[in-house]
Amino acid sequence: MPRPEHKEITLTIDGRDVPAIDGQILVDAARGGDIEIPVFCYEPKIGGPVGACRMCLVEIEGISKLQTACSTPVKDGMVVHTQTDRVKGAQQSVVEFLLVNHPLDCPVCDKGGECPLQDISYGYGGGKSRFIEPKRHFVKPLGLSPLIAIDRERCILCYRCVRFSQEVSEDHQLVLLERGASTFVATFDGHPYVAPFSGNIIELCPVGALTSRAYRFRARPWDIEGSGSVCNLCPAQCNVTFTVRDDRVLRVLSRDHDGVDDGWLCDKGRFAYQATHSDERITAPLVRDGDQLRPATWERAIQVASGIARHSGAAAAIVGGETTNEEGLLLGRYLRDTLASHDIDSRQGGALSAGVLRELARTDLQATVPDLEFAHTVLLLDADPVDDAPILDLRIRKGARRNGAQVLVASGRPTALDARAAVAVRHAPGSAASLVLALDAALSGDQGSASSHATDAGSDLEAINALAEALKAGGEDVVIVWGERVTDGAGGEAAAKALVNISATLGLGTREGSGLLELPRGTNGRGLREVGAIPTAGPGLSNPVAVGRSTDEIAAAAAAGDVTALWFLHADPTRDGRNTETWTRAMASAGLVIAHASTLSPELAAHATVVFPAEAGAERDGTITHPDGRIQRLRKAIGSPVDVRPAAAIIARIAEVGSGVDLGPTAGPAGTAAVSAAVSFYAGLNVDEIGGRGLRWQDRDAATNLPAGDVNGESAAPVPAASPNGALRLGTYRSIWASPEVELSPALKFLSRRPTVELSPIDAERIGVTQGQNVDVGTGADVLRATAHLRSDVPAGSIFVESGLAAPGNLPSEGQLIEVNKA
Amino acid sequence: MAQIDEDDIILVQRGPSPTVAGGFYRSFVETARGLKTTLFKVFGETQTIQYPEEKTPVYPRFRGRHKLHTFEDTGLEKCVGCSLCAAACPADCIRVVAAENDPNNRVSAGERYAAVYEINMSRCIFCGYCEVACPFDAITMGHDYELSDLNRSDLIFTKEMLLAEPIERTPLRTEDE
Repeated sequence: MPRPEHKEITLTIDGRDVPAIDGQILVDAARGGDIEIPVFCYEPKIGGPVGACRMCLVEIEGISKLQTACSTPVKDGMVVHTQTDRVKGAQQSVVEFLLVNHPLDCPVCDKGGECPLQDISYGYGGGKSRFIEPKRHFVKPLGLSPLIAIDRERCILCYRCVRFSQEVSEDHQLVLLERGASTFVATFDGHPYVAPFSGNIIELCPVGALTSRAYRFRARPWDIEGSGSVCNLCPAQCNVTFTVRDDRVLRVLSRDHDGVDDGWLCDKGRFAYQATHSDERITAPLVRDGDQLRPATWERAIQVASGIARHSGAAAAIVGGETTNEEGLLLGRYLRDTLASHDIDSRQGGALSAGVLRELARTDLQATVPDLEFAHTVLLLDADPVDDAPILDLRIRKGARRNGAQVLVASGRPTALDARAAVAVRHAPGSAASLVLALDAALSGDQGSASSHATDAGSDLEAINALAEALKAGGEDVVIVWGERVTDGAGGEAAAKALVNISATLGLGTREGSGLLELPRGTNGRGLREVGAIPTAGPGLSNPVAVGRSTDEIAAAAAAGDVTALWFLHADPTRDGRNTETWTRAMASAGLVIAHASTLSPELAAHATVVFPAEAGAERDGTITHPDGRIQRLRKAIGSPVDVRPAAAIIARIAEVGSGVDLGPTAGPAGTAAVSAAVSFYAGLNVDEIGGRGLRWQDRDAATNLPAGDVNGESAAPVPAASPNGALRLGTYRSIWASPEVELSPALKFLSRRPTVELSPIDAERIGVTQGQNVDVGTGADVLRATAHLRSDVPAGSIFVESGLAAPGNLPSEGQLIEVNKA
Repeated sequence: MAQIDEDDIILVQRGPSPTVAGGFYRSFVETARGLKTTLFKVFGETQTIQYPEEKTPVYPRFRGRHKLHTFEDTGLEKCVGCSLCAAACPADCIRVVAAENDPNNRVSAGERYAAVYEINMSRCIFCGYCEVACPFDAITMGHDYELSDLNRSDLIFTKEMLLAEPIERTPLRTEDE
């Protein structure tokens, strides 16, 4: 559904003319005219009004009874009074009523000082109660989940949390039990409320009924400072406010940004801050001494690391997704200009040529996050937002629920949005490229080619035709959300070109609200590509002087001895579950391994030469680029531990000591200026322009500097999906909880993942396992023992292994056949 | 040397030089008259307080060093660590870090207690706002005014110091004093 048109009207509130939009809710219209109407239950982000709390009663001329402003749409010429004796009397009565059962434990309550009920009682209450009977009592506090404490006495039954669970995250877990004064919020059968977005109900609760257990009794509003930044744990890059006390992050709150997160946060973003203050974090540089890494002085660590200058032409860098644009640019420059190496990569699945990348980055083909909400059709291509960029899952649900957007899914692994999908097509793991080619052919009416690609994809032609039909029939505004893994492997380039073709067929470039939205694997996947931290393009997606090696090629070259120095900037390829064995050999045979890390994986501990402590998210400064092109600033919220320094400064210092070159400014506004000078389509961008909300480079004049794309070259065809022949086709997935931050956060530790495989009940029966039993994936020495999780949506013949764990095992690449046995 | 203008010089008018009797009067009688009060006090009650052996008595509502209180019957701390004193403090000298009570080993009566309660006495202006703000009468202003120390960090009073029964060193004024 396209964005609704707005008709301006004027109404009168308390004798003042207030401009508003026809049909707007009276509370919002009044706020626009600087008139406050108190509310508890009204929260437009959750959905329609419920009128549960009665706090917003106002007098409207022509209507004899008081009306709830939260459920009354405005119309032209309406006359509203919010300050009459009648309204004030009603407000006082409602406050008195709400406080009848509300305990007076404000000094103990965590909400005290930032509590809407306190504020409204002071502002609109009568100041006394006639209630002398005993109050309602419940056992307090209960753990609603390991993350949330519920104090049912304090609940004023505004329904916000329940509505969030039912209508926003759609996990349908929270309900109201009992009736009347005994009503309370709970899950129906009393199980813990564990869901990816559960933490949002803490922020929604207008009283202290739902509080964070991690923040319990940590601080008062006057003890703390809020520091705005951006969460760098996934590509969704939600805007957050870090609550800081005594230079420690104590809490993460959402910093509502309609263009990014719509005011929600996932539980990882909300609670993983605890990893910042974990004892297991590395806080001093480590240098190899024999078979051990030992803490060393900065001078020594830099001295050892600057030995990379002797590996000129044989140095390679893997850049992790958390890296900022500034750091990525600096390392790319050092490697390319000084060390004569082009082997730098921030993608895992192989490189795309600069021409194709530029074509995909075309300004007119770029969809924004709000487009997901207003599109007629959203197509997910081998992406599951709940794991890849959780907050977008809520946005797509919002579009489907409120605006009737059609959701289409084509993926290997079943997604969380399948239940919402009009058409859900499965393909063999790792064969997304073939599926995109098949869809392209089906859309352009080439049934022969569509049929062969569908077979290659391990999918069936009818389903793909149905998908194509739904795409065409659904409406003009189409947003295609595609996972980075679509362009993995040999057929990646062909898939990217097919995507461009599909966009042309559907006319995505010609319409404002439609386009492509990539979900990269790394937080700053897009920014790193644009500053040239990929082997196939220089800064600004320019054609490189020479094409370097991609991630997998670097591993192979290092294992073979062609690359002798490895630099892992916020990356640990042994954790990704791809080519673990090659990487282990590569690290063992490299002469110098430099790593920037917060924690040590066993492989890093065994093979790294120097490990520099990495800054935590709240300690970073720099810019990152959102998948839709929005450049956002990371702002330093807390000081780093004494011996933790910014990675950009370390890179510059190594270059200075090792090669005697000055890489220029590393941090602050000058560092950002260096990025905008290097990337043609960021030209002229500075930190003031980015500001607290960020801005999309596509919306600036400099966007026209993006060089033209090139999709004419020949590209390799995707490898056809193997036919499962007793063995199973291997797929991998990375759960939202599979990250070191989750393992290091005490609050989230209960969610940290153990090796799990998802398989279909048919295969499970054949192998002879049931839900929760162990299976052995693979054979021989490389066997990975994992818990079986049966999902009826997983197609028979495929198995999905969880990746991103501390011990990922050594698995072949996606799409290959693997033997699975009962353990 | 600058020239001094004749007009700038003003002659001081002096009185007639004193006679012998006048000089005697001025030297002895007038001096004795001026010292009259002092001389009579010599024979009266001693007013000097032999500090530090003796202390100045204070009024019951004198605002001296703070005290934290416990319940007499249960021995639990009255303070629940709500931080309202810290919010009220105009000198920003109170720091409270709260924590959750272990039901088996309670520190305070409520769900929460003050794990850290510190008052920086070198900053405190003894206004008593903390006492006013406290919803549980857990903190009151005591009578002790002897708060000097040899270094500043010793002037940060911890919860244990504030909870400890102070040695009553300060005498109170009686009602009619």
